[in-house]
Amino acid sequence: MTLLTEALILGLFAMSLDLMVGYTRLVSFGHAAAYGFGAYACGWLLLHTSLPMLATIPIAALLAGVIAVGVAWVCTQATGVSFSMLTLALAQLLYAVAYKWTSVTGGSDGLAGIPRRPGPFGLDIFITRNGFYYLVLLVLSGAFLFCRALVRSPFGAVLGGIRENEAKTLALGYNTRAYKIAVVALSYALGAFAGALYAPFAGFANTELLFWLLSGQVLIMVIIGGAGTLIGPMIGAAFFLTVEHLLSNYTEAWALFFGLIFIAFVIFAPEGIWGLIRARFRRRTAVELDHRRGVAGAQ
Amino acid sequence: MDLTAFLVVESLNALSQAALLFFLGVGLTLIFGIMRIVNFAHGTFYMLGAFIGYSALRLSGSFWLALVLAPLAVGIVGALFELGILRRLYRRDESAFLMVTFGLALVLTEVIRLGWGPEALQVEPPSAFRSIVFVFDEPFPTYRLFLAGAGLLVALAIWQFLERTRLGLLIRATSQNAEMVHALGTDVRLVRSAVFGIGCGLAGMGGVLAAPLVTASIGMAAEMIIDAFVIVIIGGMGSFPGSLLGALLVAFVQVFGEYYLPDLALAFMYLVMLLVLVVRPGGLLGKEA
Amino acid sequence: MTRRPGVTRRRIATFALTGTALAMPWVRRVAAAEPIKIGMPLALTGPLGSVGQQLKRGGEMWAKVQNANGGLLGRPIQPLIEDTGGNPADAVRKSQEMVERDNCNILTGITLSSEALAVAPKLDEWNAIFLSSDNGDGKLTAGALVPNFFRANISAPMGARAVSLFLRQSKSQKFYAIGMDYAWGHSSVGVFESEIKHAKRDLVGTVFSPIGTKDFSTYIAKIRQSGAEALYIVMAGDDFNAFLAQAAQYKLPEKVQMLTEQMELTLLRAVGDAALGLIGSTRYAFTIDNPKNKEFVALWQKERGTVPDTFEGEQWQALQVLAAAIEKANSTDTKALHDALETITIDDIKGPVAMRKCDHQAVQNGFMVRAVKREDFSHPVPEIIATYPGEETTPPCNKETFEE
Repeated sequence: MTLLTEALILGLFAMSLDLMVGYTRLVSFGHAAAYGFGAYACGWLLLHTSLPMLATIPIAALLAGVIAVGVAWVCTQATGVSFSMLTLALAQLLYAVAYKWTSVTGGSDGLAGIPRRPGPFGLDIFITRNGFYYLVLLVLSGAFLFCRALVRSPFGAVLGGIRENEAKTLALGYNTRAYKIAVVALSYALGAFAGALYAPFAGFANTELLFWLLSGQVLIMVIIGGAGTLIGPMIGAAFFLTVEHLLSNYTEAWALFFGLIFIAFVIFAPEGIWGLIRARFRRRTAVELDHRRGVAGAQ
Repeated sequence: MDLTAFLVVESLNALSQAALLFFLGVGLTLIFGIMRIVNFAHGTFYMLGAFIGYSALRLSGSFWLALVLAPLAVGIVGALFELGILRRLYRRDESAFLMVTFGLALVLTEVIRLGWGPEALQVEPPSAFRSIVFVFDEPFPTYRLFLAGAGLLVALAIWQFLERTRLGLLIRATSQNAEMVHALGTDVRLVRSAVFGIGCGLAGMGGVLAAPLVTASIGMAAEMIIDAFVIVIIGGMGSFPGSLLGALLVAFVQVFGEYYLPDLALAFMYLVMLLVLVVRPGGLLGKEA
Repeated sequence: MTRRPGVTRRRIATFALTGTALAMPWVRRVAAAEPIKIGMPLALTGPLGSVGQQLKRGGEMWAKVQNANGGLLGRPIQPLIEDTGGNPADAVRKSQEMVERDNCNILTGITLSSEALAVAPKLDEWNAIFLSSDNGDGKLTAGALVPNFFRANISAPMGARAVSLFLRQSKSQKFYAIGMDYAWGHSSVGVFESEIKHAKRDLVGTVFSPIGTKDFSTYIAKIRQSGAEALYIVMAGDDFNAFLAQAAQYKLPEKVQMLTEQMELTLLRAVGDAALGLIGSTRYAFTIDNPKNKEFVALWQKERGTVPDTFEGEQWQALQVLAAAIEKANSTDTKALHDALETITIDDIKGPVAMRKCDHQAVQNGFMVRAVKREDFSHPVPEIIATYPGEETTPPCNKETFEE
């Protein structure tokens, strides 16, 4: 049950990264920064103010989005691998700060005992385990619809242009830098939303949530699920979590099989899980074809 | 200890650190230069070198033999991986390589854990370098001098290899224009396999050399991989002199930074990288951004 | 514009998915009963993997021996062992699974303090007991104490205290301290600092190294220059191995007496002779001299062909505490177990152990050991050089330091 809730939270996290990676080909190695920041911000607010959970979560996400504009500005100075390494550098710096700033972040112990505070007006249906599940489901659905609308909009079309050929898009008169900054900021804000959901879900926030390993894992989730499809990353997150969980229940050597599964996926299913599923249930209608052309993934 | 003594001793420390970083970085940059692959498993090859070195040392009693065998073995593993798996992916985009090398890192780490156990294993330095010398009255381990020397030697060797041998020429040419090299009749695939193997072998050599300082342990890969990326990025991806420069820069900043500002020790490397990337996105000696 | 199809496969799929998603909370699992289940969500892989493996071996050996003797209250022991990788999120998840899926209400062996800190707040919701066998963080019995948490092992403050008690006999006047830059490092160095003050000695410097530091040359240089006569080291794992190996290469131990808070066999095996002369506190050593321990060591040697290491012993003791409490309560029900644990006492491999009701810390002997060569071992072994009664080494209730 809680595994499912966690899968949904990770799904939101992965989907947020897809906006950058799948739709704009901006590969971030530092997305954990968004997640961790969201978790710490929300956790801190829940522990040190009397704001209800339903307020702290969006506040944390908003805060992250605002800061991410600055982050995006720095990172988009570069492109390609340098862009990726800048995202990594900034994420690791945040990690270092969280690690050392013990008075605010609890240092390596992190923040524990984060409560799910009801409100406003005593609204507490989301506090229980089942209730929280529905909250996450709600947020994820809303975010999905929002992202889908976004990528189908003119904004999304420009992102596609940047992905396919930035020079050409620039030549057409678009301020590609501004679009990139916007999508990065949005992506981080949504990632922080996921992190902000995580804090009251797990009841704690710690430096592992900011570590580069998590950034690598969420990138894997996006790719394994199918980049550039929004749904793919959600599936990838669920897949990742479930397989890791099941495998580690059965054998200590679970990482071995996990790695082999990745490698197999890359070689045999380049479009990811969602790509496999779609290939099976393809419907050749004009609507489908248009949809695919407009939104489809990396290739 | 007065200032000169301090500077000299700490510089020697930095040089020995730089040597280890260099072994890791040069392989990574060469691989990227030729194949545009970000090799996530590079730290794991380094670790594999340390463990194979441990076993070779146990079995033969000779550190020098281990120093030859381990990089060779690791290079072969790398080349096999390239032949078996990476070759299928050259038509795809970079994310495929990212995933596959990440997967390899997981698999290899687990294989090492299953093969050698989870505990750290001791690797003794060679008997020739177990003593100390006195530098300005401060004891300094001769092994570190050996490390600095080995780094320099290997750097020179690679330089000459790239400049003067046929394979070196092919490597440089392929990193600039693979199509042309192919058109001129060379099997570019062989060049790639060779580079991947050599790159991994160099990482493995770094692992054996590092083991007397840090023991052969499962955490080695994760502890080093970020450092490797950072120095390559700072130096410029694909640039051999860049990896040397990057290693020296990071080592010196780390050593002197740790001394004066230990609180920032965790952040130094990233701050330097940030600075470099903002000023020169392609790295100090790199070409493209 | 294409005609809009009515019931398509896509629509069915969407409905089915939505329906399932909404219904998930009501999907239940079937419960089970009978054997006494002991949940052990351990860090079997990852940086502290070797510690988790020790805890696993300790738990498995104990269960084997208990079951050979008919189990507890006539019920067999069933350890539930899973890997958390040292990740607090996984620790919470696995613990929750054990509680909910396997109907387990006893947890032990959680390896990292950060994992324990994440799990502790949930114990009330799960109605489960957590008996720590390894977590040293002082907070767990102080600021972060929850009713269902009990600590059977020696805590970090207790270890640090043993070192400082030993120091009072030493002639060294100037001390330096180096710790790993995280919670445990800071708290232990903090305890040491206040102890040095009370012993009227000088702490000439402290420094913290980030986790994952590979090259300690700068730190070694600093220590050397400080003029310290003794060095207190609060490190573990790869960092500790690297530090000792490098310190020996710089001949630091010849100038400075090395002291540490935590000495175990994995360390001594990993660095070999570089550890000779190291003095430290230990949470358990096979060289502890009492009949119960001799029996335990003999058993271990017979079954595994080697001597037990620190955490194997700690896990054994923790489970002995648990067994005594289960028998005292004549039940494994959480409330009964809780009440029994609060005042439980045993006399076992480390000597007398008495749980303290006020903060759920087991008061027990503190041990100081020195790494010495012994002919029948290929690596240095910890020789006991001092034993302190628990009352002297355990901080006051709910505190992490000692105020005198």
